[in-house]
Amino acid sequence: MGSVGLTLPWEHRISRSAHTGEQRVESSEERAETGRLTSAEPQDSEIAGACLRGNLQGYEQLYHWQGRRMTNLARNLLGSQPDAEDAVQETFLKIQRSIASFRGQSSFVTWSFRILVNTCHDLRRARVRRKDHASEDVESLLPGNVPRARVAHPSLRMALERALERLTTHQRDVFLLYEVEGFRHAEIAGMLEISETASKNTLFQAKKNLRALLEPPRSAGTGGAL
Amino acid sequence: MNFTCHDRERIFLDGSAEEWVELEQHAATCTPCAEELRAWKQLSAAAAELRDYREVPALWARIESSLREQQVAPAAHRSFWHSFDLWARISHTWQMALVGAMIVLLATSGGYLYTHRRVATQDAGNKLLKSGALAEVERTERDYMSAIDKLATDAGPQLNADTPLMASYREKLLTLDSAIADLRAQAGENPSNAHLRYQLLAMYEEKQQTLQDVLETKR
Repeated sequence: MGSVGLTLPWEHRISRSAHTGEQRVESSEERAETGRLTSAEPQDSEIAGACLRGNLQGYEQLYHWQGRRMTNLARNLLGSQPDAEDAVQETFLKIQRSIASFRGQSSFVTWSFRILVNTCHDLRRARVRRKDHASEDVESLLPGNVPRARVAHPSLRMALERALERLTTHQRDVFLLYEVEGFRHAEIAGMLEISETASKNTLFQAKKNLRALLEPPRSAGTGGAL
Repeated sequence: MNFTCHDRERIFLDGSAEEWVELEQHAATCTPCAEELRAWKQLSAAAAELRDYREVPALWARIESSLREQQVAPAAHRSFWHSFDLWARISHTWQMALVGAMIVLLATSGGYLYTHRRVATQDAGNKLLKSGALAEVERTERDYMSAIDKLATDAGPQLNADTPLMASYREKLLTLDSAIADLRAQAGENPSNAHLRYQLLAMYEEKQQTLQDVLETKR
């Protein structure tokens, strides 16, 4: 297979999760970002307890801890900032409605993200139905013209977003949760109600498919998205 | 370990830290593996382009406002369907199973309405039940309650199982109980209100069907 010919401005390295031995490719910049998101983490169980008692401060803590990550995931799943904000809001409402059923079998964050992912799927399905009824161009469902923060490679981002749209729902979910949001396979397994092995296999297939989608045709030589 | 190019994909899938080091060392002298390794890492690195952790102004205020609104809203006035938010969290397989159960429920409801249409048509144009119809409705309610009590006893052990599906059923039953209690209170104040009594019957029927569905899962 040919090279995925992109020079990225990061110092790449393979890092190892201390807990699981999972291999992850990260840049120094990304690690700093992740650090900002996870530093001074409140206790997951304390937040869950506050929410169970109906204390809105629990929800506020959850939002300030994971809200940006939730919004980012929803945006990548839905391709739209307003839809992502609606999905996050709906997720918090669902958490409040069903907090009594939280049994602590997974972490509260994992449980919350499971609700978020399913909410995004529901919104996607509803949007497809609406678009079908309106006979609008399906292309307009795809992300691409979404106002986003400045990124180093806007064309790469767009190419990746479009390639992600061509993966299966599970492959897209796992890729975004693992590679973008930095969750471990054990956490993803809890969110998507699959086994850890299935999560690893799905990620592997997702990356193979993405490579095939982003790689320039062999005969064309050079000049692909990646 | 004698590392070969054939080991590469297995390591991509689930390699240990030591195996990744071996792959790196092997790639230093193997051009195809070096290209594959670089491409694999670059895909992960490219995923960073999809990270945008900007603070969204006013989003928390919006969420907090809706949480407060939902918190103060009396449970009985919440949307009936909102209580089924667990639906979104269960797997597609279970969703399909529940859709099947709903179809059975609809068929049962259709059968019930057909066999009891005499009561319905008798009072279709009348919002207040006459004494004969009221007695029949009350008898039907008693039948439902009796059947539900029996089903609840049978389904008890199954319902206590710690699974997402059973959690969903428990939540649904709680919602139904809440709706039934509310309707019974209203019907107590106005026993001849046909609309209330039919709603109450529908709730009983739903609860009966739900308990039957719980028992079905055992089989």
